[in-house]
Amino acid sequence: MGYRVGVDIGGTFADFCAFDETAGSIGTVKVLTTPDKPGQEVIDGLKALEDRFGIAPGDISYFTHGTTVGINSIIMRKGIRLAMFTTENFCDVLELARLKMPDPYHLLSSRPEPLVTRDLVFGVAERMLADGTVDSPLDEDSLRAAVAAAKARGAEGVVISFLHSYRNPAHEQQAKRLIAEIAPELHVFTSHEVRPIIREYERSSTAVIHGYVQPRVAQYLGALQEALSGIGVTPEPMITKSNGGIMSVEVGKTACVEMLLSGTAAGVMGAAFVAREAGEDKVLSLDIGGTSADVAIITGGQPGYGMNEVVGDFPIFVPTVSVTSIGEGGGSIARIDAAGMLTVGPDSAGSTPGPAAYGRGGTQATITDAFVTLGLLDLSALGYGMVSVDRDKAVAVIQPLADSLGTTLEETAEGIVGIAVSGMFREVSKLCSRRGIDVGEFSLLAFGGGGPMMACFLARDLGMKRVIVPPSPGVLSALGGLTADVRNDFTETAYYDLAPANAPRMGETIARLTEKARRWMVEEQHYEGTPVFHASGEMRYRGQSFEIEVPIDPAALAKGDIAPVTEAFHAEHRRLYGHADAEAPIQIIAINLVVTGHSAKPTLPRYTPAPRSVEATQSMSAWIDGARREVPLFKRTDLTPGASFVSPCVIAQDDTTTIVPAGFTGAVDAHGNLILTLAETADAH
Amino acid sequence: MRTDPVTLKVLENHAQAVAESMAFTLFRTAHSTFVKETEDFTTGLVTPSGMTFASPRDLGATWFIGLDYKGALEMIPDYDEGDICITNDPYSGFVCTHTPDMHIWKPIFWEGEIIAFAVGHIHNTDMGGAVPASLSRANTEVHQEGIRFRPTKLISRGVMNDQLLETMMLNVRMPEQNRGDLNAQIAAVNTGEAKMHEMIRKFGVETVKNGIEDLLDVGEARARAVIAGLPDGDHRFVDYLDEDGPGGVPVRLELTLKVRGDEVIMDFTGSDPQLKSALNMPTGGNPRHILLMVGYNYCLYTLDPSIPLNGGILRAATCIVPEGTVLNPQYPAAVGMRSLTCGRLQGVIMGAFHAAAPDRLPVGAAGGGGIVNVKTFDAASGKLSMASIDPVTGGAGGSALGDGTDGSGANSAFLKNTPVEINEVEVPIKFRRYGLVPDSGGAGTARGGMATELEVEVFTPDTVITARNRDRTIFAAWGGSGGQPGAPSLFTRVTPKGEEINLGNTDVVTMGPGDVFNLTSGGGAGYGDPFARPVALVVRDVLRGSVTPEKAKASYGVVVDREGVLDEAATKALRDAHVAPAPATFSYNESRRAYEAIWTDANYAALTQALTLMPVHWRHFVKREVFDRIEALPEAARKGDGSEVWEAVEAVKTRVPGLARSMQVQEAAE
Repeated sequence: MGYRVGVDIGGTFADFCAFDETAGSIGTVKVLTTPDKPGQEVIDGLKALEDRFGIAPGDISYFTHGTTVGINSIIMRKGIRLAMFTTENFCDVLELARLKMPDPYHLLSSRPEPLVTRDLVFGVAERMLADGTVDSPLDEDSLRAAVAAAKARGAEGVVISFLHSYRNPAHEQQAKRLIAEIAPELHVFTSHEVRPIIREYERSSTAVIHGYVQPRVAQYLGALQEALSGIGVTPEPMITKSNGGIMSVEVGKTACVEMLLSGTAAGVMGAAFVAREAGEDKVLSLDIGGTSADVAIITGGQPGYGMNEVVGDFPIFVPTVSVTSIGEGGGSIARIDAAGMLTVGPDSAGSTPGPAAYGRGGTQATITDAFVTLGLLDLSALGYGMVSVDRDKAVAVIQPLADSLGTTLEETAEGIVGIAVSGMFREVSKLCSRRGIDVGEFSLLAFGGGGPMMACFLARDLGMKRVIVPPSPGVLSALGGLTADVRNDFTETAYYDLAPANAPRMGETIARLTEKARRWMVEEQHYEGTPVFHASGEMRYRGQSFEIEVPIDPAALAKGDIAPVTEAFHAEHRRLYGHADAEAPIQIIAINLVVTGHSAKPTLPRYTPAPRSVEATQSMSAWIDGARREVPLFKRTDLTPGASFVSPCVIAQDDTTTIVPAGFTGAVDAHGNLILTLAETADAH
Repeated sequence: MRTDPVTLKVLENHAQAVAESMAFTLFRTAHSTFVKETEDFTTGLVTPSGMTFASPRDLGATWFIGLDYKGALEMIPDYDEGDICITNDPYSGFVCTHTPDMHIWKPIFWEGEIIAFAVGHIHNTDMGGAVPASLSRANTEVHQEGIRFRPTKLISRGVMNDQLLETMMLNVRMPEQNRGDLNAQIAAVNTGEAKMHEMIRKFGVETVKNGIEDLLDVGEARARAVIAGLPDGDHRFVDYLDEDGPGGVPVRLELTLKVRGDEVIMDFTGSDPQLKSALNMPTGGNPRHILLMVGYNYCLYTLDPSIPLNGGILRAATCIVPEGTVLNPQYPAAVGMRSLTCGRLQGVIMGAFHAAAPDRLPVGAAGGGGIVNVKTFDAASGKLSMASIDPVTGGAGGSALGDGTDGSGANSAFLKNTPVEINEVEVPIKFRRYGLVPDSGGAGTARGGMATELEVEVFTPDTVITARNRDRTIFAAWGGSGGQPGAPSLFTRVTPKGEEINLGNTDVVTMGPGDVFNLTSGGGAGYGDPFARPVALVVRDVLRGSVTPEKAKASYGVVVDREGVLDEAATKALRDAHVAPAPATFSYNESRRAYEAIWTDANYAALTQALTLMPVHWRHFVKREVFDRIEALPEAARKGDGSEVWEAVEAVKTRVPGLARSMQVQEAAE
């Protein structure tokens, strides 16, 4: 028995969550990030854990870690100097992308400059056809010329992305071998190895992002390994992945593309864990940080997964926990526009300089400043005393807005909150229409530093009946890492009709992928348990251009029976889009296989004391629901399981503040989650 | 303003949420791949009088911001709760702009009063008519463009008019798609109604009603503020479509933009008569018809991206479009291909606005490539294969703010391509090349965006290549302030013997085994004197293959080799010797200059004036006759002052006595 420690590194803070396997309790710590010295914050945080909870590095039995080194390399464009080799006459794949501009109403809208610019893209004479046959062989002389040209232009690495390599990778493999011979100093990445998906831009973009960050991330992980073992942490560190799973740090060194969005994914995994523990079937998670609000749909304790996510300016096509990011966070800036309208965001003061109230040089009014001005935040020490709030500074930036609107300070601050909430309302409404869900059936699970601050307002607007605030909402991503399973995704492009004649092909593909996955688990991941395999197909009606994912039962397939998967596709199509066509031919575009290795989960203690109503012992003067009033102030530590309370009230704790406007009744469940239930009211406004 | 600024912003977000939820509902439940792929649909909310106050920002077509539903709404005498109405007739109320666009609207009642309408349209793949997909440049009457429904209740008090529905389905080629897409539209307007009711319950009906009007007022105020930032004055701009029908003569589109304080007048007088092809734009003369306003919306938004995109912004403009012209045709002119004309007209408006704000707006975008469809057969099985493979768009124009984007951008920024790999799996063809064309962007201090090139080999007989909206082989993108025009577009067929055939603006061509076609869009135009372009950027362009060393030397005065090694002395010598071009707002390509040497402003003004005096049904005929006569004139007989046009008109009248009689009848009537 020992301590299981999860670490998540964000923009401002590195969050630590330590689960005591003996006592079943959770301790949390936050330290400031050290962007100039990645990894130092991990050592700092472990030290803080030791100081605060007496957890020595040697007591750590399990360690998970989410890193932002990869994503920061992309955002700050600090990856390696990378070249790309394409099929001759198709060199502009990154330049053209999918043509559409980010803002099609704007005549000057432009695509971001690719990570590999056109002077480092070289065509190689070769051609593979769509069915995988060779149209013209790889011309080694043209490859040598490309290598020489790339080296002359200073390339440190090469991404090879040839047409139809998802179908037949022979030319990419041949090119890789040859480069290893003639230029062993170059890092070489092939698109089929990174992710063998059809669609040349999507595959190339994913491979480029991978190659761009891989050397940096591998270096970081190596240094981290050393530092951890240097201070006496013995288990092999695990790295959180964008797919909500984990992998060993050793595997991570070659699978960088899989961890780029691990921070948000781990948060959702933490939320899903809380939802499962609380027995909540339909949950919308709301993670609000300094610059954005991330929303995810969690049903039956499981998040959704998607393939098409954005990293920095670029799309990436690896399986990822589906998260919708809204450009509004605690640092979003409020201003008066040219027409005299008050607007909020999308630009943000971020974590540096941050809200004016933080006193770190922020000079613009942010959402956090509005809450501080209203008196709803100024009694709680934010961020464990590393940041304190100064109401005078907040008032100083809100007052000018009030002056130009001709309203009072408080009305303006409340207006900023209202506008921010309405912006989130707009985005969440869109998400629900896109997925065809009725948000009224969902509970809102709030976390991140700002989630509990805004969740009740948003839930009230959306007509959601319940808000859940977990015990440590500020460190849910770190907890998420501790609840994650070892997980990896394998894929093969299929692209044929879903027909009985093709059942053997599908079966062979699944067997091949299963074997690959098994080897990965055993040989690379050194997993000792029994891995679980889950096959699925990306399918569509012929003529459609988008696929939906449907589980495949290999046992039925082995008997040549495609009826179950066919029916499952029609049913899923009907569920998602409201209609299905039993007569239409179905294409299977890709076969996916997910392998998971169960990891031990923290078992949260359950308390079931008798319900009791509690009253706050303190109150504060604050403006809420359109008037100044004495608002009861609870300390979160006083709200133990079984407690119930009424609103309006404010609940302060180390890592966040929960603001509960009128109309909610509060209760604390067996795990210590705040359950805030909206009473039926005719009109909330 | 009836609403305080905070509440108004909150209402705006909630109204947008309604419009966007409608869009996602429609997109999610639509049947046809066409809708999913092209996003050629709209959803939105309009006032009881038809003005759009909310439309989605990140899904759907970009052209219809502020579409005015008034004409169609008024054709239904009375509304009841639960009604849903449709129209796809371009001549009934001038809301629908061609027959494939099925428009739908549902009144949103609150306590017996109509508060708003939930509206939208879907471009159906086919509405019947002479050709599959209902659209062909060669159509001459709207009747050939499919079955039309004037504004009608499809659903009356919740009850479906099955006879109407079945009549529609009987007349279209893919009824199941139309039926499925129509259901998605019904789901969208029902979503709009439900969410609008939620909003009214939340905020109260008076707040919502006032907020709607205030949102439009804010839009108008913001548009006026943008226009007030432009200097007063008249800015005339002309551009052309290469052909007024298959194998025809050019179509002139002319605009005089009059900036007056905080409003603009857009006078399109001088544009061609209505055409005997499907290139006409049905506007009904509505002074703010959306097809006339797309370029205006783009320009205003580019000048200030924070303006709200709603119908209020249109109120700062008034258009003048004489009847019987290509921009205001009379029934029953065909209108199916109005998108080609509308696209060029956007460029004309961008040109006039560029003249008003040359340092803030770009010069001419490429255009002209077309949208390529292939119909072919599998060589072994003979199985038919048909697909839309790619739009070939070409780059944006340069501006004082930077280079034009390569390969796409400006007013074609909404189009998406299809991956080569998907095309090759779906259609038995082989791509030989897909990419950008070096040297195709007009030279300038800011370079024009490069052209896109698509080269494809086909393998079976009777393969039909359709390239819808082909143009710009004659008239290329226009440069500005010393920047050069973009390259023209090209459509070439290479036979197995290696023979190259220039297909010009042909939009349908049949090919056989071993044939290759190459479709190259135009390039975007350059802005500013190319010799003033920073040397480092020219070197970068050479390294990236956007500009060849030859072009760098000839057009930019930069001597650099393929590896980017600069000859500083030679560059300095060239640049020192360069005489900056005389300041001219616009620059045009050679074939346009040659055309305008014959068709001078005076000559064209004479033609326009002469045609205006004639009954509409004679105009296109007389235009062609006059063009033949002017073309046949010996060089010495050309004066360019209009006189040769008047002589030609008289000659036509003499040859065709019916024309003269018809003119007398018209005069008498007036």
